[in-house]
Amino acid sequence: MNQDKGEKIMRPGSNPWARWRRWALTAAAVVGLAGMAVPAAAQDLYGPKAAQATKGGALTFGSLVEPPALDPYHQAADARIRFTVLMYQGLFYEAASGEALPLLAQSHTVSSDGLVYTVKLRSGVKFHSGQPMTAKDVAYSYNYLRDPKNGSPGAGDLALIAAIDAVDDTTVRITLSKPNAALPMTLGNKYGGVVPAGYFDAPDAKQALNQKSVGTGPFKLAEFKPNSHLALVRNEHYWEPDAPYLDRINILFVPNSAGLIVALRNKRADLALLTRPQDIQQVEKAPGLVLERWPSLNQKALDLGSELSPLGDVRVRQAVALAIDREEIMRAAVGGYGKVIGTMVAAMQDRWGVPLDSLPNQKADIEKAKALLAAAGHGNGLSLTLTTINGYDWMDPAAVTMKQQLARAGIDLAIRRVDLGVWIKNFQSKQMGLTFNDWATQPDPHLLFYRHFHKAPEGADFRNWANADASALLDRGLAETDSAKRKEAYAQFQKALAETVPTVMLFSADHVSVRNEAVQNYQQHPTGWFYGLARTYLKK
Amino acid sequence: MGRYLARRFAASIITAVLASIVVFLIVRAVPGDVVAQMLGQTSDPASTQSLRAFFGLDQPVWTQYGRWIGAALQGDFGISWTGGRPVSMMVVDAFLVTLEIALLTLVLATVVGVPLGLLSGIYEGTWPDTLIQTFNLLGLAAPVFWTGLMLLVLVSSALGWSPPLVYAAPGESLADNLAILFLPILALGLLQAAAYSQFVRQNVVSALHQDYVRTAIAKGVPARIVFFKHILRNIAIPLVTFMGLMLTQILGGVVIVESLFAIPGLGRLLLTAIQTRDYPVLQGALLVVVIAAMLVNLGVDLLYRVIDPRVRLA
Amino acid sequence: MAQADTASLPQALPPWHRLVRTARREPAMAGGVLVLALLCLVAAVPGLFAGQSPYAIDVANALQPPSAAHLFGTDDTGRDIFARVIHGTRMTLAICASALLIAAVIGGIGGTVSGFFGGWIDQGLGRLIDVVLSFPPIILGVIVTGVLGPETSNLILALSVIYLPVFFRIARSGAVGEVGKTYVEAARCLGLPEATILRRHVLRNVLPLVLMQYIVQFPLVLQIQAALGFLGLGVQPPTPDWGAILQQGKDAILLAPWISLFPGLAVLITAFALMLTGRALQRSVDRR
Repeated sequence: MNQDKGEKIMRPGSNPWARWRRWALTAAAVVGLAGMAVPAAAQDLYGPKAAQATKGGALTFGSLVEPPALDPYHQAADARIRFTVLMYQGLFYEAASGEALPLLAQSHTVSSDGLVYTVKLRSGVKFHSGQPMTAKDVAYSYNYLRDPKNGSPGAGDLALIAAIDAVDDTTVRITLSKPNAALPMTLGNKYGGVVPAGYFDAPDAKQALNQKSVGTGPFKLAEFKPNSHLALVRNEHYWEPDAPYLDRINILFVPNSAGLIVALRNKRADLALLTRPQDIQQVEKAPGLVLERWPSLNQKALDLGSELSPLGDVRVRQAVALAIDREEIMRAAVGGYGKVIGTMVAAMQDRWGVPLDSLPNQKADIEKAKALLAAAGHGNGLSLTLTTINGYDWMDPAAVTMKQQLARAGIDLAIRRVDLGVWIKNFQSKQMGLTFNDWATQPDPHLLFYRHFHKAPEGADFRNWANADASALLDRGLAETDSAKRKEAYAQFQKALAETVPTVMLFSADHVSVRNEAVQNYQQHPTGWFYGLARTYLKK
Repeated sequence: MGRYLARRFAASIITAVLASIVVFLIVRAVPGDVVAQMLGQTSDPASTQSLRAFFGLDQPVWTQYGRWIGAALQGDFGISWTGGRPVSMMVVDAFLVTLEIALLTLVLATVVGVPLGLLSGIYEGTWPDTLIQTFNLLGLAAPVFWTGLMLLVLVSSALGWSPPLVYAAPGESLADNLAILFLPILALGLLQAAAYSQFVRQNVVSALHQDYVRTAIAKGVPARIVFFKHILRNIAIPLVTFMGLMLTQILGGVVIVESLFAIPGLGRLLLTAIQTRDYPVLQGALLVVVIAAMLVNLGVDLLYRVIDPRVRLA
Repeated sequence: MAQADTASLPQALPPWHRLVRTARREPAMAGGVLVLALLCLVAAVPGLFAGQSPYAIDVANALQPPSAAHLFGTDDTGRDIFARVIHGTRMTLAICASALLIAAVIGGIGGTVSGFFGGWIDQGLGRLIDVVLSFPPIILGVIVTGVLGPETSNLILALSVIYLPVFFRIARSGAVGEVGKTYVEAARCLGLPEATILRRHVLRNVLPLVLMQYIVQFPLVLQIQAALGFLGLGVQPPTPDWGAILQQGKDAILLAPWISLFPGLAVLITAFALMLTGRALQRSVDRR
């Protein structure tokens, strides 16, 4: 029944739209059915369980990225998050649909003023050591994470929390300084995860996390050897019944995609995630390998910072948006293995997005772009410089394609490729000008939009958009607890985004997984994290 | 000799300290620090500030330097900011990998380059000489990373061979280790062999033109004796110096080859540390590179004296 | 014997004739110079050699292998690699030539001054140069372009910093050699100002050494430039440059090796021609 969950790969260009829609429908149907059949949403954690799953066996996972370390509290690298989510668990799980589902939490209630969250914990949860988890451990872990003195990059996300207390053994009370509807999603698995109280008191605690895992997740650390491999084994104390299915996951850090492709073909690796279209093309025709495309939360975007003089004029920004053919850019950038988007990342489009055809400035219209430029006083042409980031494969082909597109509207585009560190510095100091961007957040509209687009000082407003109306909509979405009203606020916000163009979201690149036929029930989570391994089994 | 060594050593120490200061200042001049990269697009001023304080980046540069060098002198190079592992451990691991590459390249270059050079020197002006010289120039003219890339394409498409997936230390699996290092060493070795061959050829030719060699040949001294006694001995000293020079050059050339073949050596460590602004790793690794180059030069000087007792530098 | 012949050559012979003679005696050099001349021509008027535009993208024809339509194949946006290699010649050579020029001028003057005056200046400058030399060149290039920013002018500066020590050392050793010679002693006894001696005698004798080194180092700077371009530190896209094309090809190396093959060959051929020329020049200097 899970065969069609991830769509089989097909040549780009063979009508991706129809296939996409079908995928979305199937997925929605499955989620809906599961929701009806069982009262708790637990069935959806990490993906659907498989009734006929074979237990046992070791899976070899080929990874092009390597975590520099496995400390979920202090390491920011995305490669770290991808693997540590299998070992450490937070209170909530970032469901693919864009909801926070209880993970180590059992349920939660919110006080009427929206400031106090009372979280009931799941019972029977044990750490990898076998020691039972209590509310004390939960309070300790989140308090450690949010204390700036402990140097966690995740502390900033929890700055709105005033206090976390253990009420009794199974209840935790979280007090906020102001209401925040996205709190459950921030108590997820990107940073931290519940560890035994007092864990970090030992002087070498951080480094010890590379030898021994201390979480509650379905897998525990067996061995981590930098530049070589990571081995995870099933947590025999794990709290979910009948899961996970695999006894062991051997993760090989493969330095280049050529090696990975050979390994997949020779069955030296059972499963891998590919990112570059060239690699996908090479595996496509290999017999015995199944390629599946999964929607993602990432967005490849063109940001237009209003501090740069011509871009301060909304007509110029609209003209740029109207001169762009996103479909062509996506084909050049990722070989078509993605989805053109409007104002919402692909994976969240169904739950939180607005249909593209009801948004302004989405379709290329060169004449209108020219007219807008002329009205803005740039009738004789305009020169702009686009910043790209060194090492981001998709940006160079996208940039040269866009250069050609903008030229049709009379915009001369120069390209400036900078180092990531330099780019981040400019971005954070709100001096980004016209730039490509590549980013993702957890699946929640507040986390997606607020910091980027809310006016300063509450938000960072990286693009100097300074839009008070849009900011008010973001405030409404944050405080609103009613799901439908929340969606409406964000829909209105997205229309403002599309209308005045502080950013042009171009496309979301798909996650493409490759597995051999023995690998069953793997679903790629839209974050790119490898949650799906907790539901994967090997057919004998 | 003791005094000379002491002076050389002192000069090297000064260079190393100067280099460490330069590194310290210059890496901090590159925009975007580790905190900026960690927080990325989720940055907010408060988290930035507290994280910078956590890493000590809010202190004046001289305070930071004083702290670092003080600890470094006691053998504590700190903890990697992005990897959480002790820098000394990371650097030593990486250095051993690079050292293996460097030594194997040296062996390859010597075994191939020196005989070629001798051959072409002795047969100066004949077709083997022309052939070998062409090889030399081609070897020197090709960018080493490009040679590596082309070798990879060649072996993988023609022979269907690809190196093992995951790096293995020689202690774990010597066969895997050598299979992984084979292509990078071949690429580096071709370049170095060309340099060796060219160098040896020049020295042989000039030795052959020396009066005493001509006299010896004219007097009917057997060619074998002329070759071993006069020519080889004449080449030995400059060759040792040259080998030292080339060894330090491998340290430089290995940077890009290691990143290309993803070998966890010092070059790749340095490059990654620069990209992620992992200052402790960058400082530690560069210090090791500088010291290694110094030691090689010192070693060459010592060898010099062993080979030729006449050399006395006051 | 051969050189005696040249020396006694009557100057009346037309220059064309002498050229042919020299070429016949140094065929390797003649070949090298010919290739270099061709490269200069390509750099000057690339349009003469490549009919297609190096910028025109054609996504439908991306990653095509070499064919009659695209001699060197196409890259990931369907641009013609042949046109890009041809048009990249100018940028590549200009970057290397100017970087070396800066290194030669600053390093040459610095080295001469250091060698001529000796003492603490020499000590100080020497240490400084040692520091620069102690960094692997690629790392130095990455750091310097990191600090200064990704502009092409900064790439040139980075390359010149890498090559400065070479010229410094050559000039210094030349100057030290000259200082010991009698004519400098004599000039000093005559009471000529130091600056005049430096300018009139020492610099004049150091100059040929520096010039020679310029040619010897050129192929090496070409390789470093390609290597930095390979790391993405080359010229800004879409400007064609050999290193930049190499960087583009890296990701598709097994799928489309032609993207990397041809710019690398261009570097190889250029460096080869430069080395041939340089060695022949060296020989003729040695003979004098």
